[in-house]
Amino acid sequence: MDNTPTAMTAAHPIDRVLRASPELQDQATLDGMSDLITKVAPLLQGRRLHNIVDLLAATSDIVEMADDAMVQKLMAFYEDTTGGVWAVGNALRYASARAARAEAPPTLWRSMRRLRKDDDARRGLDMAVNFLAELGRQSRATHGPMPAD
Amino acid sequence: MVKNVIVVGGGIGGTMTANSLVAKLYPEVSRDKVRITLISNSPWHYYKPAFMYVAFGAFYKNELRRPQASLLRPEINFVLDEVEGFEFSASRLRMSSGKTYDYDYLVVSTGCIPSPERIAGLQEAGDHFYQHDPAMQLYRKLATIEKGRIFIGVTFPKTPNVPHQCGIAPMETTLMLDEFLRQRGVRNQIEIVYTYPTVSQLLRNCLFLQKDTSEVLPAIFESKDIKYQRGFTLARVDPEKQVAISEEGQEEPFDILMQTPPIRAVDAVLNSGVSQASNNEGWLPTNRQSLQLEGFDNVFVMGDTVDLPISKAGGSCHSQSPVICNNMAGLMRIGKTVAEYDGKVQAVAQMGMEAGMPLWYDYDVDVKPTPPTKIGGLMRKGFNRGVYWSVARGLV
Repeated sequence: MDNTPTAMTAAHPIDRVLRASPELQDQATLDGMSDLITKVAPLLQGRRLHNIVDLLAATSDIVEMADDAMVQKLMAFYEDTTGGVWAVGNALRYASARAARAEAPPTLWRSMRRLRKDDDARRGLDMAVNFLAELGRQSRATHGPMPAD
Repeated sequence: MVKNVIVVGGGIGGTMTANSLVAKLYPEVSRDKVRITLISNSPWHYYKPAFMYVAFGAFYKNELRRPQASLLRPEINFVLDEVEGFEFSASRLRMSSGKTYDYDYLVVSTGCIPSPERIAGLQEAGDHFYQHDPAMQLYRKLATIEKGRIFIGVTFPKTPNVPHQCGIAPMETTLMLDEFLRQRGVRNQIEIVYTYPTVSQLLRNCLFLQKDTSEVLPAIFESKDIKYQRGFTLARVDPEKQVAISEEGQEEPFDILMQTPPIRAVDAVLNSGVSQASNNEGWLPTNRQSLQLEGFDNVFVMGDTVDLPISKAGGSCHSQSPVICNNMAGLMRIGKTVAEYDGKVQAVAQMGMEAGMPLWYDYDVDVKPTPPTKIGGLMRKGFNRGVYWSVARGLV
């Protein structure tokens, strides 16, 4: 095997590619690559760069596997989560601001009267009761007694 | 004294701006110094860009809409009514219900209306995908056509240097159409012809409203056997013969005519008497930096209603909304506007059914087209199915 540099550069196709690339004739590109190689060298020598390549490969695999149905399900989860958190956050902020506005809190009697007269307040109470009932149903379904095998 | 801020329009621009105004002005809103009202003529908020997917059977109606009130912060007073008259000089709105609303600050985000009836024969014989029902009608045709010629055209507003609705949509749907027909196995029997008018904003005889993108289109179309033709400005349609006739004197037969139709502002804006736009299109004269209505410092204009040379699309509203919120806060708090709109528009273009291309541009720099990718396509799908609603809530 001929290891002389002249013979190698003449024969190696990658060398022709490197020479043909205008970006690689730019000193700034070469300086940048030199810096990059200095940074990457310890990772290469310790075989730690392999993990990064594996991570890129796994990310690429996920992109390849992702289809319309998967995107729809993931985004439905995203929308349910952000929409829910946003709605609860809004309700808390708004209720808190309203409650803090009055110098003295309403009497119990006035609160009860509002509950009787305000449809939305009663609906909110009903929603809270439904929420508790659903928690109870789920608790029974998850931890309730099951028939023996 | 309470300051009344009214946002007119329940599209993406009005919704995100009303929500963002609450956040920006929260110290005043929470102390009842500022009251924010959003007026819309629909109880539903529609994700309008999804209508083009309806034309390919990829979206159902209930997936692209939400109750308008569910997208608004509780501090916003939502009014379901229609503005009949903008009295800018009196800072007053006349409603179709007979009520009137006085405002201290106003945001006009009333969108635009596709108006195929403005070209003879187009309403009867043409199709488009800019509203739900026309998109469904187009889907029924695209899902059953077995052979023939699909002719695609674009109509620009007559107002100089104002674009049509969503600049990239005709190109997006052309590429989607090609893939849709391939999936159906009928592409070989159907000729697709993409055309562009002689005048497209500041360009002449191009295939797109920006030069760089226009130059890459021939290679893309040729690789997919899509025919393309410059200089076809639709003048009228003969519904009986199914022929499209151009201002340049050409006659082109079609089995389906997929035409981006003329557009105009809503009636109340048209009738306000403020617009200087050609052809009774109604675009409001808008300061290109502050987004104030010319001559009325307490009125801001955004989205499709402006007479600016940037895309009539949600991607424009997204960059205009923070400018309006900052400027309104500036007027209230220090008596002057503080922010300037640079014409920025951002979007992810749907390039075929699976691929996407993120893009952005502004008043000075055009889109730099990049190769469409599957990651770009996933970004667009993710936006369509979830992120859009966060944008409407003012979260993104």
